[in-house]
Amino acid sequence: MRRILEPGQIEAFAEGAIPRLRLPDRTRLFASRAQRLRQLGAPGAPGQAIGDYLRLMAAVAEAQQLALGTFDAPLPTATQLARSHTHGMPLIHAGGWPRERAWRDLPAQMCAAVAAAHDVPAGAREACERLRTLAPQQLEAQADALLAARADAVEVAVAPFLMAALQAYWVALASRLTPDQVAALDVPGLCPVCGTLPVASIVRADERSQGYRYLHCALCATEWHLVRITCSQCQGTANIAYHSIEGGAEAVRAESCDGCHTYRKILYQEKDPNVEPVADDLASLALDLLMSEAGYHRGSGNPLLWQTPAERRAESVSAT
Amino acid sequence: MADVTRREFLKVTGASLAGSSLVLLGFSPTAALAEVREFKLARATETRNTCPYCAVACGVLMYSLGDRSKNARSSIFHIEGDPDHPVNRGTLCPKGAALIDFIHSPSRLTRPEYRAPGSDKWQPISWDEALGRIAKLMKEDRDANFVARTPEGLSVNRWLTTGMLAASASSNEVGYLTHKVIRSLGILSFDNQARV
Repeated sequence: MRRILEPGQIEAFAEGAIPRLRLPDRTRLFASRAQRLRQLGAPGAPGQAIGDYLRLMAAVAEAQQLALGTFDAPLPTATQLARSHTHGMPLIHAGGWPRERAWRDLPAQMCAAVAAAHDVPAGAREACERLRTLAPQQLEAQADALLAARADAVEVAVAPFLMAALQAYWVALASRLTPDQVAALDVPGLCPVCGTLPVASIVRADERSQGYRYLHCALCATEWHLVRITCSQCQGTANIAYHSIEGGAEAVRAESCDGCHTYRKILYQEKDPNVEPVADDLASLALDLLMSEAGYHRGSGNPLLWQTPAERRAESVSAT
Repeated sequence: MADVTRREFLKVTGASLAGSSLVLLGFSPTAALAEVREFKLARATETRNTCPYCAVACGVLMYSLGDRSKNARSSIFHIEGDPDHPVNRGTLCPKGAALIDFIHSPSRLTRPEYRAPGSDKWQPISWDEALGRIAKLMKEDRDANFVARTPEGLSVNRWLTTGMLAASASSNEVGYLTHKVIRSLGILSFDNQARV
């Protein structure tokens, strides 16, 4: 029988054939991240210049993995899921989801790992001390500032530990969703689960997703499909370029867009099966410095490295 | 204003690192900043295109090195199937998979050439000469062989002595225009498939 596809059908079939979503695996996400951070910070590895920092973050990632062994929080109800679908909103929206009070125990668990780590600078111990003394409402306010990426309100020193606690919370939820519960948003640059900007993108090499590019959520580690050679910031497709360090790692490149002058790193699992978006993005700080010199901005920050906004840096200089 | 702050926040420089959690937690950015002076940025592009061989029109990704924006000649070094393309899903047939050799082939035709009747040599000619000659020969042939009516008096307006083979990787728009041009001349033998 002759069969003619109607307009829209080709796109619909295409949508179904590509695994659109990869939800995080809570049993090994942070353990692999910790392992990768240690690997990248080792002598001779691409991240050796900031190896100490990577090792501290590896200890934090191990604490995240440990915390996930016991931590859980209630998932959205059927009504809440239906409401998100109706309005095309993320299911567990970072900016608006009511966090269970139990999350407030997580930062202390991150700090316990810092205390147990070797060669931790005084600054890191002080930051953890500061985190412990924060009143619940200060803690909640800091969490809100981090989740909204409101740079002016973020306490930069405690931010990585607090963000790690929030990541553990969101991964605990996202890992228990099923792909059919998660609808695509009409904004392809935001995580369909929590609405957060991606930290980097990764071209997967496993059988099911070979050659497909996914954006990796900086908060809940959900990965969602985005067509390659597309700007993850403005969805432009003209004047996309790929920058790498000459003679450096082939598995990490910066995907830049001359339309919006931003870039996000893109990792190739085919070149290195161990690439991990948060770890490789953090360890390739040199690429950020070069991209910045070349006139590009990051599409969004790394959840484990926060920066004081320029005008606050200026204030602190004039105050001293 | 908020946007300016946000963009500034997302630039990673020596100055911004001084106010980063890396430094505030007691680590030094010195090694990272020193290392960068040794490094050079390389730029590459990936371009989406359609395989030119047959009418299946598989999507391909072409990888090239070099910076087109700085007048440097970019050079394609790898071609593979486009995984996002709904037709071929990243796969290519053996001919398509060897496209890179097609591009860099020393015998690739890059300009019009003409071989005169009886000659064993190809000679390069300009596009103007080539198009002028084709148009002239087409007109001569059409004037001699165009059939407006059959002996029975049936109106047909056909031109059967010339055919046309167009490109299989053409877009819908190019296909439409080709069709309009060729059919309006009365040509009936017309194909867009290279029959690989």
